[in-house]
Amino acid sequence: MKTFDRALSWLLSGRRSAASHLLLAPAAAWLIVFLVLPALGLVALSLARNGAYGTVVWSLNLDNYRRAVDPRYVPVLLRTLGFAGATTALCLILGYPLAYFLSFRAGRFRGALIIALMVPFWTSALVAFYSWMVILGKEGLLNSALLRFGFISAPLGILYTPFSVLLGLVYFYLPFTVLPLYGSLEKIPRSYVEAAYDLGADRWTTFLKVTLPLSLPGVIAGALLTFIPCLGDFLTAELLGGPRYYLLGNLISNQFLMAQDWPFGAALTTLLLAGMIGGLWAYRRWEPDA
Amino acid sequence: MAPNVSRRDFVKAALLAPLLPSVLAACRRADRGPVVNFFNWSNYIGKDTLPNFTKETGIAVRYDLFADEEEMFAKLRAGASGYDLIVVGDYLIPRFRALNMIDPVPPGVLKNQGNLAPDFRHTPYDPDEATVPYLWGTTGIAYNRKTLRVKPTSWWDLWDPKYKDRLSMLDNVRDCVALAMQLLNIPQTTRAPDDFKKVRDLLVRQKPLVKMYSSTSYLNSLVAGEIDLAMTWSGDLFQAAKDNPDLDYCLPKEGTYMWVDCLALMRGSRHRQNALRLIDYLLEPQVAADNANFVRYASPNKKAWPLADPILRRDPRVYPPPKEMAELKMHHVLDSEQTELWNKTWADVKVA
Repeated sequence: MKTFDRALSWLLSGRRSAASHLLLAPAAAWLIVFLVLPALGLVALSLARNGAYGTVVWSLNLDNYRRAVDPRYVPVLLRTLGFAGATTALCLILGYPLAYFLSFRAGRFRGALIIALMVPFWTSALVAFYSWMVILGKEGLLNSALLRFGFISAPLGILYTPFSVLLGLVYFYLPFTVLPLYGSLEKIPRSYVEAAYDLGADRWTTFLKVTLPLSLPGVIAGALLTFIPCLGDFLTAELLGGPRYYLLGNLISNQFLMAQDWPFGAALTTLLLAGMIGGLWAYRRWEPDA
Repeated sequence: MAPNVSRRDFVKAALLAPLLPSVLAACRRADRGPVVNFFNWSNYIGKDTLPNFTKETGIAVRYDLFADEEEMFAKLRAGASGYDLIVVGDYLIPRFRALNMIDPVPPGVLKNQGNLAPDFRHTPYDPDEATVPYLWGTTGIAYNRKTLRVKPTSWWDLWDPKYKDRLSMLDNVRDCVALAMQLLNIPQTTRAPDDFKKVRDLLVRQKPLVKMYSSTSYLNSLVAGEIDLAMTWSGDLFQAAKDNPDLDYCLPKEGTYMWVDCLALMRGSRHRQNALRLIDYLLEPQVAADNANFVRYASPNKKAWPLADPILRRDPRVYPPPKEMAELKMHHVLDSEQTELWNKTWADVKVA
């Protein structure tokens, strides 16, 4: 019993108690084993050479990086940035009113509406995109309905266009935008809004001068949570995009699955990760009160 | 009813109780009983073939599908797949053997190996019979008779701007690069960077017309009328034609390739005997015939031919007469350097 007491007091004493370290340990171990080590492995792989039949020959050279900055990949990069940017913008435009409604107007339906927002998010993306293919196809639900009611005379080619890719991305990433937005709107003390009204501000002024500025952290968090995973997305373009809208994620997955060139794929992934981390770092430096 | 069990708990338990024995049985069947893990192309086995095998032998088959050989190769190369039996295309056999990924089928253990036609024994791609031919077919053009007024006759029809957004290409490096080389009169043995640039350019030139690169889902699109023209594998199209009788298959006038898919034993497989048992079962004449009749590919099994669906047996596009059969080309076996050039060219086309 004495040993136990001593152990307990060791755990709980000190400026930073051992207990807090122990509490952190599982998460830290998890991150080290499943994030840091694989990331280091990826960097090591990116310096290797591609051997016979796609086997990996370990070495230290930068050839893969030299290949990765080839101008032929610039269009893919620009296309990816374009789709990610457009998706983020659309998610904000659609998501902000939604989050605002959830936070300020939904009342007793709020719980149900948040669940409704989350349900598509819990569905496998694969199932969701195959369902979209059924809806958007030439003989799909949408075209049949439009034809039936006479809005169009010939089926529209909606699937395998930039539009269908954008639709899939917005559909999938909308909850990533809405949830942080909702969180930041929820945190705004309602007394601030009431105070603005009391001081004679109309609805618009209140929104522009009080609500919107206070919700900006949510806007930025939502935008980042949408933009960054969009940069690496490949499933959407693969299933809804047809051949002409391949994104960076497809370029990378092709190296692993099709070209059997893992070192080059690793170099592309490392560059993408470095770009994302660099962007986040620059943003934190720039953000006034981070 | 015991006093401390709530009614709801009791109802839940009562509802689940009948399921319990079957759940346990399912676990037992998968874990304890004899099994074989089989990795095969999608749409590539008869509906009843594997259930019948299990009924006859008591060996359960854990069956997984792939839609692209290079992806299959990438997955298996990543290690410890647990598969016992895989289907490998002719040109891949040397690669699997060079990397020690498959074990040769021991000679003399298959009692039905003699059923194979002589053309499919001791082949150039597998001279010592390390694998067992499963099915074979050709690559050609699928088209919709109703929506296409002119029947396609040439591979160049797949480059015709009037079919923009109405055609699909196989998402397969082997078929697409080989086709470009054939059309450009470049031999498959080439290593010249310039040749690969020409191949890339030809395929990139076609890209604005291509609705999709796909080896499986294009069949649904053909059936649904989403596309009217497709580079296809023979049997896959004949299967799709069951759902849409307007679909037809043609072998272009420039000629085409045939390929043979073979059953191979994974190295390190834990169920070797069961895998061999399954191979032998698939070689039985009636089983091979039923299987081929369902998937609509040609069987390399001579004893199965008399049992084949007469419509298929008489179709020269499935079982070509000897003269035409001799004209079908086989893919060249690529070495590792050529494999890399082919794969890189194809990956470049895909992101162009």
